[in-house]
Amino acid sequence: MARDTKDNHWKEDFPIPELESTQVSRRDFAKFLCLVSGGLATGTGYVAIKANFFPPEKIVNEHFVCKKDELPIGGTKAFVISGSDIPYILIHLEDGQFRSYEQKCTHLSCAVFYLPGSGRIECPCHNGWFDALTGEALEGPPPRPLPRLDVVIKGMDVYVKAYEPSNKAVV
Amino acid sequence: MSTFREGQDQAHPNKTSTLILALILVLILNVSIQIWLLYTTLNNALAQHADIALPAFLASLALFLVGFFWLYYLPGGGKQRKIVKNVNFSDTYH
Ligand code: FES
Repeated sequence: MARDTKDNHWKEDFPIPELESTQVSRRDFAKFLCLVSGGLATGTGYVAIKANFFPPEKIVNEHFVCKKDELPIGGTKAFVISGSDIPYILIHLEDGQFRSYEQKCTHLSCAVFYLPGSGRIECPCHNGWFDALTGEALEGPPPRPLPRLDVVIKGMDVYVKAYEPSNKAVV
Repeated sequence: MSTFREGQDQAHPNKTSTLILALILVLILNVSIQIWLLYTTLNNALAQHADIALPAFLASLALFLVGFFWLYYLPGGGKQRKIVKNVNFSDTYH
């Protein structure tokens, strides 16, 4: 409690009525909505600039992953490409084909795993499923297919390179 | 010079309430559309479809500008401040 007159000066120094300091008026709420709106417009602009002018770097050349006999049928090998830190997996499908995908779920970036024998890739985080043959999202929350790489086999060596949709049918 | 503001300031509080509610609802609608635009843009950009990004940004910006100039019609701009000036502060503290 204020005892002397000196302590009473805060009322003049901060002349803000109690009502105003405790209530958010509808005017302020409307202004806040407008601020949020500006933030969303800025965010969309940021995404637009990033998507149009700074696309993610393309993978150049072919990269050696492993020997063909290192990976048994139904096996999975995790690898990274030198110069990037995106995790990838190489899968040896039951029918003998090789497939390579980013190991990051398109939902919230959890690591995905091939479930041997099922032909499907599983994301354990929220029970998302992808087709191991195409990377297509089959079930659960993932909104997009898994980004994939093309697998090139040269003799006994397995290489990967950037995915080109035109050679989808080969391998 | 007299603008719509004068009449607005003299309106019955019920009328003012309805007006402010309508203004806020439109702002909320704008923000919802913007959230949807951002969500779609992001999803498409991550899937390497950048084409939709620019139109979505322009739409979002337009909605923001609409909302911004919308604020001009908020009631209470003149009136409330005048009242505040006349408040005797010693009465408002307990
Ligand atoms: S992170 Fe993969 S399903 Fe949610």
